Amino acid sequence: MLPFAQVLLDGLFTGSTYALIAAGLALILGVVKVVNLSHGAFFSLGAYIAYALSTKGVSNPAVAVLLACVIAFAFGVFLGKSFINPVRSHPFSVAVGTLGFAILFEQAAQMLWGPHPVSIGAGPPWAVVDGVVVRRWGAISLIASTVILLAIALFLHSRFGLPVKLIAEEEEIAESVGMDVEKIRYLTFGFASAAAAAAGVLLAPATSITPTMGRVPLILSLIVVIASGMENIAAIFLLAVGLGLLSNVSAYLFSPQWSYVSLLSVICLLLLLRPEGLSATMPGRDY
Amino acid sequence: MRRLVAACLPGIVFALAALLILLPEGWPQAGTGDPLRIGVLAPLSGPFASGGSAFLQAVTLAAEQANSEGGVLGRRVELLVADTQGRVDIARSEAMRLVSREKAFALVGAYLSEETVGVIEVASAGKAVVIVPVAATAEITDHVRREYDRYRYVFRIGYSIPQWAEMMADFLGRQGYTRYAFVGAGIRWNRELSRELGKALARRQVALVYEAFYSSRNPAFESVAVAVAAAAPEVLVLGDPGGNAAEFVKRVREGGATFPILSVGGTLGDARIAATLPLSAPLYVQAAAWKGASPAATRYAEAFERRYGYAPVGYSDTLPYDAAMILFQAIRAAGRTDSDAVVKTLEAGAFPGIAGTYRFDSSHQAEWGTRELRGNVIRWEPGGARIVYPGSKKR
Repeated sequence: MLPFAQVLLDGLFTGSTYALIAAGLALILGVVKVVNLSHGAFFSLGAYIAYALSTKGVSNPAVAVLLACVIAFAFGVFLGKSFINPVRSHPFSVAVGTLGFAILFEQAAQMLWGPHPVSIGAGPPWAVVDGVVVRRWGAISLIASTVILLAIALFLHSRFGLPVKLIAEEEEIAESVGMDVEKIRYLTFGFASAAAAAAGVLLAPATSITPTMGRVPLILSLIVVIASGMENIAAIFLLAVGLGLLSNVSAYLFSPQWSYVSLLSVICLLLLLRPEGLSATMPGRDY
Repeated sequence: MRRLVAACLPGIVFALAALLILLPEGWPQAGTGDPLRIGVLAPLSGPFASGGSAFLQAVTLAAEQANSEGGVLGRRVELLVADTQGRVDIARSEAMRLVSREKAFALVGAYLSEETVGVIEVASAGKAVVIVPVAATAEITDHVRREYDRYRYVFRIGYSIPQWAEMMADFLGRQGYTRYAFVGAGIRWNRELSRELGKALARRQVALVYEAFYSSRNPAFESVAVAVAAAAPEVLVLGDPGGNAAEFVKRVREGGATFPILSVGGTLGDARIAATLPLSAPLYVQAAAWKGASPAATRYAEAFERRYGYAPVGYSDTLPYDAAMILFQAIRAAGRTDSDAVVKTLEAGAFPGIAGTYRFDSSHQAEWGTRELRGNVIRWEPGGARIVYPGSKKR
């Protein structure tokens, strides 16, 4: 076993987990321009759907991802249309409202599945290369986050993504040319919610599933999105992977309790030097 | 017709009254009159809701059983439930409400050490008996020892940290291990447990080769799993009773490590969780009591499973059950609901519970680690759990 190589590979996987959850959050912050504190609840919803299907004997992640995306998209559109759009000009109301939704979800999950942690079998690792273990769910989150972020970047640079990009950059112009801004906003909210639920499904076997499991990923992904500057998909991915590596290396070299401290210290330093985020140093913007 | 009914009415009433008096022969019922009000403080929402809800389920089961046997001193047991949310301030204010406004005679709880320290201050001021089931910090019994007059109403059913460490060390020593690692959640009692376990194992010539405490906000399990494997312990002690424990075991086994893991109990005692974990190497769980350890433990486990649809984990449910049952026994033995009389009874008596027979020392700590009360260690196997301590041989 090569401990340090293992720590680096695991750091890459951890970072891709942050990126996977941050992808949808970045879209909401960039396009809808609200801080969505219910994003972690959609992540938990995806994990619980994977668990519920596994108890029925359905262990195919593709089925779980599909079902979770459909349910989360419907919830997201409902939340976006009925709550976010009407109050989005009041940032505090949005924050309190989405936090309230997250707590409501936690209570509902507790009633449906109980407060006890539940778990899905993770299976064996994917491969062992020269003593370095390729963790199955780490590799899956790396592939999934790359695919999702690439898909978002391609969509935003395509003809179909133009309205979203325009709304993100110049909302008044988009309205003046007759775009249905409200609709695009709640559809974006629905899509981002589906992405969070897909992340929940994919990471469910690697974790233990609890009603409050979405809280920690919400904070970490919010950190990644704000520090990356929201406007550049590549910046989100790079920062997420960088933080994953930092977190794992500092936990290995010093102590696991130092991982969070070092991660937050670097973020504070980054925001102090670049208040507009990491993407300010990168060429171009996606939206 | 009306005259006929009027004539028969006293007879019907008498017959019904006689029936009600005679029937309880086969149907024990709780007494009438003022109920015996017992406050239950547990985190029923928030991150500790899992342990808190099992806590409440077990105390509810105990109250139902007491009521089905005629109540306590002929009075029906009524539980007054308070959700502490895992917060010290709420635990304190709820304890105050239960004691001063709801007139609870005694409290069972709280769950976390920090909450419980707040609760015993409030309850002792109100002279309410407090039975502490799971909170393990030394601060609780230290209060009783230092300020007996004020805190004499506080009794701990659950094991103290040194007792917990001693029981685990006894098991590990009997297994013949010489090198161990300790990994756990970075919370106060866990650090105390690691320190006490270190002392207990040092006396048995078992050396600590790796120690780490992770933050629940960013546990970095992968790195800990790599570091602990690199230290090559013969056994890993996992100090985390929460959901993170399952995640950590997955990481360790995924990394290929084959050393045995001994959990302090909690989530890993849940058969539903254990069924999803790799059992390629031994997974041990410390518990207060386990089905099969004694007839009482088996009866309790079966009653719990029948009532709630899942098997007890042997810790966050079992100890609260014993806490309630011992409180009821003490009130019955005292013969009246007088706090000082119940305290005297608890101090002098021996009380059978499902984990064994409880006696209290001068600091009102249950004497764990004796032949009468020593807990269990189980090993998960594909077919279920097997008790390996007490009575286990060398590995």
